[in-house]
Amino acid sequence: MEPDRLAFLKMRSPLCNLFYMATTKATVSSAANSSPTKPEYDLEALLRGDEEAFEYLVVQESPRLYRVIFRILGDEEESQNILQETFLQAFQRMDTFRKESKLTTWLYAIGINLARASLRKSKRLSSLNDQDVERMQPSFSKGMFLESPHHWDPLKLAEQSDRHRLVHQAIVKLPEDYKTIVILRDIEEHSTDEVAKMLGITSGAVRVRLHRARGALRSMLDAHFSHSNPSWEGLS
Amino acid sequence: MGGFVMKLIVMIKTLLGFAPNCEKVNAFLADYMDGTLPEKTAKQFEDHIDMCKCCGPYFEQYRETIDMTRCCGEVKLPEELVEHTLTFLRKNAK
Repeated sequence: MEPDRLAFLKMRSPLCNLFYMATTKATVSSAANSSPTKPEYDLEALLRGDEEAFEYLVVQESPRLYRVIFRILGDEEESQNILQETFLQAFQRMDTFRKESKLTTWLYAIGINLARASLRKSKRLSSLNDQDVERMQPSFSKGMFLESPHHWDPLKLAEQSDRHRLVHQAIVKLPEDYKTIVILRDIEEHSTDEVAKMLGITSGAVRVRLHRARGALRSMLDAHFSHSNPSWEGLS
Repeated sequence: MGGFVMKLIVMIKTLLGFAPNCEKVNAFLADYMDGTLPEKTAKQFEDHIDMCKCCGPYFEQYRETIDMTRCCGEVKLPEELVEHTLTFLRKNAK
């Protein structure tokens, strides 16, 4: 990719930049204390059931995997249970790992499947369905926008604590398929191909759902941030 | 002046169907953000975003949405998360 286009892609709002820099520094600094680079796992040792190698995997991957599971479930105790069950299944099924994907992709796939099964069992359903997401996409007539988007109010955008809450509420409202993709791709920043492997769908399907999920999130946020809407009825 | 002429050319091309319209550009958004659009299509995308009074703000808000999602708050890790997991595994992974 050309450098100028990359710069265009990486442009962030100034407030988000500050937050991003702060969290990135924190992450880098904490990672530097525990492991200098991305952890490397001894696959041979793991495949022959070496407990020490597996404990290293648990130590390295627990925080990030817990965050993904928690964001799907929203329940601390259940998320801890699912995390433990994920590692247990991974340990017991290590011989089924075929090295066709990264070890962590395989591990996350187990965790995500367990979390989604738990969500279905608990019947904690999202408040939006697929049709709602469809309705929240922009409308076109003869290929052109039907309605010009409202401008977002910079003052409302600058209220950072409120913004975090609103974005969190909007993500929680997404149907589970869409929410999981947003968590993996936009929050945890896994690549599209990795997400596809974790979820057992094509990269194209990931992109389509991600695009719709972002469109739905934008629509929900628009109800709060646009100049023409003083209240956020869409998320109340 | 040059910018205006360029915008006019893009607009005419779009109207004649030689450049992507708003709906097509919208469908390209995720691929563009992923950096997977072919170079020529990415250039057409950028030209359209630059010219269109609807797609420009929509693209900004789409990108703002991604940024806000990325920064939407940390998940607090439970105390002794790793220790509890290891204890569970030592007990059950036999």
